[in-house]
Formats: sequence, C-alpha cells, structure tokens
Amino acid sequence: MKINRTLVGMVSFFTILLAWAQLPLLAQEAPAHAITNVTVHMADGSTIENTNIVWRNGIIEQVGVNATIPFDAFVIDGGDSLHVFPGLIDGMAIWGSPDVPRDLPRLENPGKPPYDRAGAQPERIPAHYLNEDKAFQAAMKAGFTLVALGLDGQMLPGHIQPFNLSAATLSQAHAFSDPMALQGSFDTAPGGWGSGAYPSTQMGVMAYFRQLMYDASALQEHMMYFEKHSDMAQPEQNDVLEALFPLVNNDYPLFFEVDTKEEIERLFRLQDEFGFDVVLVSAKEASALSEELKARNIAVLASLDVTEMPKWLEKETKEAEKNDEEAGKSADEDDNKEGDEKEELTEEELVFRTKQKQAWEEEINNIASLVKAGIPTGFTSAGLSPKEIQQKIDLITEHTSLEKSDLIGLMTVQNANILGISNRVGTIKEGNSAHLILTDGPLFEKGTNIHIQVSQGVINDFMEE
Amino acid sequence: MKNIVNTLLLFVIFSVGTKAQENGSVLIQNATLMTITDDIIENGDILILDGVITEIGTDLSAPSGVPVVDGTGKYVMPGIIDAHSHLNTVSTNEARNPVTAEVTMEESINPNSVSIYRAIAGGVTSIHLMHGSANVIGGQGETLKLRYGVSQDAMRFTGAKRTIKFALGENPTRVHGQGNGIQPRTRMGVEQIIRSHFDMALDYRVSREAYLKAKKAYQDDRRGRTAPPVPVAKNLRYDVLNDIIDGEILVHCHSYRADEILMLMRVFNDYGIKNYTFQHANEAFKVAPEIAKNGAYTSVFADWWAYKFEVYYSTAYNATILNENGVTNSINSDSNELIRHLNHEAAKTVRYGETSEADALKMITINPAIQLGIDKMVGSLEEGKHGDIAIWNGHPLSIYSKVEQTYIDGKKYFDLLTDPVDMRIAVDSDDSFTEAGFNTFIKGREEDSCMSDVFELIQQ
Repeated sequence: MKINRTLVGMVSFFTILLAWAQLPLLAQEAPAHAITNVTVHMADGSTIENTNIVWRNGIIEQVGVNATIPFDAFVIDGGDSLHVFPGLIDGMAIWGSPDVPRDLPRLENPGKPPYDRAGAQPERIPAHYLNEDKAFQAAMKAGFTLVALGLDGQMLPGHIQPFNLSAATLSQAHAFSDPMALQGSFDTAPGGWGSGAYPSTQMGVMAYFRQLMYDASALQEHMMYFEKHSDMAQPEQNDVLEALFPLVNNDYPLFFEVDTKEEIERLFRLQDEFGFDVVLVSAKEASALSEELKARNIAVLASLDVTEMPKWLEKETKEAEKNDEEAGKSADEDDNKEGDEKEELTEEELVFRTKQKQAWEEEINNIASLVKAGIPTGFTSAGLSPKEIQQKIDLITEHTSLEKSDLIGLMTVQNANILGISNRVGTIKEGNSAHLILTDGPLFEKGTNIHIQVSQGVINDFMEE
Repeated sequence: MKNIVNTLLLFVIFSVGTKAQENGSVLIQNATLMTITDDIIENGDILILDGVITEIGTDLSAPSGVPVVDGTGKYVMPGIIDAHSHLNTVSTNEARNPVTAEVTMEESINPNSVSIYRAIAGGVTSIHLMHGSANVIGGQGETLKLRYGVSQDAMRFTGAKRTIKFALGENPTRVHGQGNGIQPRTRMGVEQIIRSHFDMALDYRVSREAYLKAKKAYQDDRRGRTAPPVPVAKNLRYDVLNDIIDGEILVHCHSYRADEILMLMRVFNDYGIKNYTFQHANEAFKVAPEIAKNGAYTSVFADWWAYKFEVYYSTAYNATILNENGVTNSINSDSNELIRHLNHEAAKTVRYGETSEADALKMITINPAIQLGIDKMVGSLEEGKHGDIAIWNGHPLSIYSKVEQTYIDGKKYFDLLTDPVDMRIAVDSDDSFTEAGFNTFIKGREEDSCMSDVFELIQQ
C-alpha cells in the first residue's frame, strides 16, 4: 500500500494538536442527536408511536416515549407523522470492488497458474481494494446503512467485511468490523481459451479447492513446528494459503454464492470433508434442500432475483379474475364468448405449462419456504439495484405469504444475526449502534420517501437534495 | 384424454423428484429370456423382488402385491450398459492441464437431463459417465444407473469400481501441444507424460509416508527429543495416480492407433497396471493377439471412423476380430443419439463379421459390465443380480424391435404404453414453450463429444 506523505504529516500534526487540547476535549462529550415524535418500527414488526430516539457517539442512548432530550442534542422533529426503521443491511454485495481484469496475458503453463489466475485470492480484504461506486450512494438513499462487502472474483475472491454506509466512497475508515468470513463460489478461473487457466470446470474448482485446503493445512502445521523448532527448514511465506487458515480451523464461515440444488449438494461434499461453517449466498433453489440445511445449521442470504410470472400464466390469472368479476355482476347472463376465445393448446403445451407453473411457484416461494422451514434467512442484493429490489419485493409479496415486514426483518435483524453482529445492529434499542432510517411512510410502499439515513450515528439527509 | 391423465400422473411421480434410490418388484411370465451368460430360455419366467432377480424358471407365481407382466412373444434381456458416455455431464473436459486425475465426473453429474430418459427408452440401464479426451490423464469416471428423477448422488452405481480416463494421440497433443505449446506435442510426449506423472506420484508417496511416520514419532515422543518433519501436503492428483498403480482404479484409455495401444501396454506392464480398457481403439484389430495376451479389454464403435486423421484406418470387422482373438470387447455409443439404439450397433457385428448373436449381445451387457467392474451385479439375467432389465417386443438384435419396458432395481422407469409426451424434470420459469427445447431431437451423432467443453472454450 502506498503511504501518502502529506497524510502522514497531517495526522502527526493533528495528533499533537489533540494532545495539547486534551483537557477541554475530555471534559466535553460529542454532541447528542435525537429524533423526536416518530413511530418506531421494532424488529418484531410492532410499532411504538410518539417516540424519541437519542444517540451519541454512534450509540443509541435512549429509545422511548419519555426519553429525555439532552440539552446539547441536535434534534430532528418527526412531527408525529414520520417513521423510523432499523437501518437496512445488505448481507453481501461487491460494490466498490475492482472489476475482474480483462485481456489477461496468456499463461505459459495454464495448468499451473499463479493463485490469482486460478481464481484463488482469499488474502484480499475489501478495505484495501474499494473504489468509488455509485452503488454506495444509491443504497444509502434506499435505506441501507450497513453492507457486508466482498470482492468481484471467482472461486475465492477474498474476505467479507461489514462497512457502515455513510459516504459515497468507502474506505477502511468506514469499516464496521474486521473481516468475518471468506467468500467463495464455483466460478472457474478467469480468461477464455486464449488466456484461461486451470480450473476451467466446476469439478476442477472442487479439486483445486481441496488441494488449497491440504496445502494450507500443511503450511500451518509447518509454521507451528517452526515456532518451537527454529533449527528446522523455514516455512514458506504464502499469503494465499495463510488466508485459508481460518477456514481450515473453522474460525470463519465461508459465504458461498450458489444457486442450484445440485451445486448446493456439491458444496455439502466440501463442507463434509473440511468441516467449515457455510452461509449460502443467493441460493435460489435452497428451499429444495431445507431439511439438509437445517440439519447442517446453514443460514441463507437469499437473493430476491426471482423471475416474473410467465406471460401465459399472468394472462390466465387475469382472465380468471375477470371471469370471477363478471360472474358476480351478471350471474344470470349466458356467456358463450368465453369458449370461443379460449386458446387451443396441444397436450405437450398443457404439460409444459403445468411444469412451468410449478417451477415458477417453487422459485418465487423459495424465501417463504426457507423461513417456514426455520432456516435462518437473510438478504443479499446480489447485483440488484434498489429499484429492482423494490420491484422484486412487490412481486414476492404479491404472490407469496411473505409480507413487506417479513422482508424488512430479513434485511435487518435476520441479516444482523447471520453476520454475527446482532449485538450491535438490526434492532433499535439502547446500546445498539445508531443505524436508522427516517421515512414519511411504511417502508417499501409506493410514495414513501426516505428522509434521513443514519449509519453508525452519522446523518445523511436526502431531503436537502 | 387418457394420455393426458397418464402424463400428468407420471409427472406427479417425477415431480416429487430427486428422491433416493427405490427398489421395485415384478414378475415377467412366459417370455424369451436372453440370459447372456447362459442359454436362451424360451417361455421362461423371471421374478424380481425388491430390486433383485430372485428366481428364473417356469410357472413362477408372484407374491401378493407384485405386479405381473405377460411376456408372451416378448424378449427379456439385461439392461444395456454403455461403457463410454457423456450423456448427462455438467462439464466433460477439465482441459487446462495434461493431467487432471484429481477431478471426477462424480461431481459433474446432471441428474435432470432428459437424455437420461431417452437412453432408458433404448433399454439402457447403466452408463459409464466419462471425462473427455483432452488430457493424457483425464478425470475419474462415474458409473451411473439411469434412475431418472433421483438426485445426482442416488444415480451413482454403488459398488462399481472406480475408473479414470486416459487419452492418447491427436486430442491431447492438439489441446496441450498445439494449443498451449507445452508437453505433449507428440505421441512420444504423451508416453512421457504418463511415465513422468506415475514416477512423480511414486516419489510423492515415499515422501508423504515418510512424513506421516516422522510426524507420528514426533507426536509420540513425550520427551521432545524428536525433531518435527517438514509436512508433505496431501496431494489429490498423486493419490489418484497411486490408486491406479495399486489397481484401485480401472483405466479406460481413449486410443486409436495400434502403435499407441502397444505403447500403453508396455507402460502399464512397467508399472504393473492391469484390467484396463482401450476405448474406441479403431486399430485394435491389428494388435488383437497382443491385447488378449495382456488381458486388456476394448470398447469400440461398430462402424464409425474418418472423423480425424488418426481414425482413417478402420474397419467394421474390428469388434469381430477382437472377439475372435479372445479380447473382452464392448460396443459403446459415446453419443446421446446412438445410446438409444445400442442394440443396432451390436447387431452390426453379426451383419459384418458374423459374430454370434450371443456374443453380439454380450458386447452391450456383460462385457461392458466386466470393464466397469460391475459384472457380479449386472450384465446378465442371473439369480442374485440386480433387477436391471428391458422387455423387448422382438429379438433385441432385430432392426424392427422396440423396448417396451425398462426396469432398474426392479422399478419401472420406462413404459412404451404410457410414455408421456414430455419427460423433462427441469423446466425454467422464464422459458417460452417454443424456446424450451421441447421438441428438439438429437440429429445424428455429435461431432466428437469427447472434446466438448474444449470447443466451447475455443469459441469464447
């Protein structure tokens, strides 16, 4: 990493300045913030009206109808009509990540590529790689206050690290915590025929992954021996394998992006062999394996990216509704027209439609089925923009038993649980970090605006724009 | 209407889908039983109980609840076994290294491919799902039972020997030599890839075992006087190569020319490797006595050649010559189209080389079973073997005969009478009916399916 000399100079200067000014600083706390007279939406879906919320130094100090507003508080008056929700959490995104490099040079021996060309970069930590990305600002405006960031890559793109969403460009300064998981997928080595490498298939990725784990175990053992026996051969320095030690020792979970039932089953094989904890990311067919997920205590960060209702089914549903209405209006009228307009379908197409309807229903009910089966289920944006997320929420709530409050639960308290940070975020209560959003109506409803987003106590006001 | 009901009924059965293996029971009466390993039994009965052939004879009666099929005028033969298939792979070639013994088709099974059903409709009950031929030492194979509608794991043939794909000649030299400028560029290079990797695997075994021994000594020494060893990581690729040398894994080697067939036998003799099969082996007829002498097997096409230079010198008499020389030979498909009528392929040996009908049928049943190490379980009608059978409406070698029913583990997976219009398991929510590939049929043989993935990669 490049160290900016000017920055070092400035930091030194301010450190001295702070030391000089230490006495008055200690005597005077940072000012408090308060939102008053709002309807607070709790994690369980319940609401408390006419409530005040007070926070200082990023931590919620008081929540309640009778909360006293400190004399030094910067106060935002909710004026009875505004709502406060816990800040939304994206369980995994790759915003700000550098793109996978294009035009990779051809390798001399594609069968033995360097780790990064094989797709194994577990040593990468998001904070060191983040770029400017419009997605940060867009997510903040949509009510997200925290995101677990990974990186764009292949089999092992790097670490997962939670960040506070309080600036248009994130850096280490916005880190919510240290990295807490490794990221994985079955993606093959980058590059096409000309510049690709081993592994180029899913079975190859599985074999390569295993070998990495064996190599990491051996290196860790060597390092342990060397600590006690400095007279033995020195172990090699290998950032990639060392980054896998937490996985070898099951100190970290592996956040694995996977969708199909068969691929999830293949991931189970690797889990059985190495014993690490897994969190499924995206997981569009996960509900087909609910029992197994439950037995393995695997949580899911689910994608909302479901397919629209098949056109023919939409038409059929609308016609059925229309017929019901008409039948209600004029039950005594003869209705010959309907028969004439009906589509003539072949036996093949009838069967096709039966199957497709079932496939679509399974797909759209994936999250509902997971929740029903008791699988810890959270949310990942998985490449969807806030606008698309809104569309998918409408689609899912229209066609499944899930309500918007359920999905908000996925995006707040459930995600906090899965990311292991529920002692700090996900709910609005005293002692938690101030991650809030102030809206003028129920979240994800048409016409609702997000006025203010608060991430770790920092206020971002979107009504000023 | 009845058809629709049947279709929907079957759909319900299959839509539950992805279940584990299920066994069934059936009694077939008064049929011609093509036992394969014994004489043909006219007007015979065969009883399958809970997935196993329990009795073959006459006048058998079915225990209560066991369905009875009238076999009058029908032929019952063991399910066809295809020793060379890429029927339902997720990917076929991990083509980025000349040696990829560590990858396995066990992790590349697509249980939802409708091609499985089409194969069952041709009387096939087991296939050898193989890695492609891009690499000298390719990936491990997986022998499957075509239990359509079960999970990928439940398709696996429990108890089958482990196998691996090798490939000689033009494919590996083209991919790695010409494609990447690395060894092997020539047939000589192919041989050296095999030898050097076996040698490296043997060296690895010595150092790995020494490390494990030293580690134990270090751990056992409570007084701390023993120095710890430098760890030698487990190596998946070399472990597999050592398993080949130890006879745990059967080699199935893609090969065409007589010289390379002789080469591999020399190499395998040097390393003590036995029970291997030459796949394709178009020039095997030239060295049939040598193959027989080495106890090697062959698995060939009935009459397919000239699709590349090394396959020009070929003959439709190949299978017959090998058979006459005492080589255990099978006829394979290597094609999702041919697999639907492997009986015709076997019949060609009768037509061309006047192989006996009995031997022709062996080439698609017991012989491939031997080559896959499953001959104690399937490949013939024998009491105690699995209930993997097909009922034909005429002699299986006749061009006019059709499969009427196919059973695996005694469970019926295909019935011509109730054959539904659409047997796909996986339908996408966003496919349109016309785009969904519903009415696509396989038109003839695909170009060199052993090289799939590689061509796709080249096109990228």
